Amino acid sequence: MKCALSLGISLLILVLSTGCVLLGKNTEFQPLDPTLLEPLVAGQSRAADVCKVLGAPSQVVELSNGNAYVYRRSVTKGTGVWLVLVSFVNAEEQHDQVVLFFDKNDLLTHYGVSLNAGKASYGFPF
Amino acid sequence: MASRSRLLAAPAFFLMPLLLSGCITYQLLGGVEGGEVSYPSDRLVVGKTTLGEVLVLLGAPAKVGRVDEGDLLIYQRAVLKRNKLSVGIPLADIWHLGIDLSAYGALVRYDRLVLIFTREGILSGAAFEKGSDHPYWKAITSDS
Repeated sequence: MKCALSLGISLLILVLSTGCVLLGKNTEFQPLDPTLLEPLVAGQSRAADVCKVLGAPSQVVELSNGNAYVYRRSVTKGTGVWLVLVSFVNAEEQHDQVVLFFDKNDLLTHYGVSLNAGKASYGFPF
Repeated sequence: MASRSRLLAAPAFFLMPLLLSGCITYQLLGGVEGGEVSYPSDRLVVGKTTLGEVLVLLGAPAKVGRVDEGDLLIYQRAVLKRNKLSVGIPLADIWHLGIDLSAYGALVRYDRLVLIFTREGILSGAAFEKGSDHPYWKAITSDS
């Protein structure tokens, strides 16, 4: 009898575990190599110099005293597990982003760098 | 007799999920966008800290924009959680009629730091909210 019960429980676990697993990755590519920023000097480099080094920005924002050029790259990693009665889906999106600030004469005043795209990971939503 | 009913109960026990599949489903969905957002209040001094210092300290913001009195930087992280429970009898293919009851709750919580700068690039205001600290069930069941 115990044997039948064990078999039943084993089969139940097997049935509940039936399903599929999905791992997905999506990259919005924009080459952002931090070493490319080294020749850029605040107070000397111009918007044209930046575009020559980094290419066209993802976004240009008009500010009160000039403009900001935004370079953005994103990586999304998704995980999905579908079992018989339950499913778990998780997605994590992280960005590499460089924002460069220019004055009204298109002279670079400051820039900020965040490199988090590599931190995107697969996982569960709990 | 009792052992016979037990023998019948065991296969029924593991067949139930198969019979119920498609009728009862529970889905848990989660998502995160953006890195951790913190507010180093001791290093961000209104009227003193400059835009350049903030960029060195916190890196590139998620968003930049212009406001009346100057510019603003937004550092943001979004955390999504969604629960969905569906109960239904998928008879639509047979009777063109089916019963389907589902309940779901989705909640996006934001950790957000907003910094406002004067035209000269001096910090003039700061606001921080750590939305991810709010408990999911409490937030989703509250009326406000």
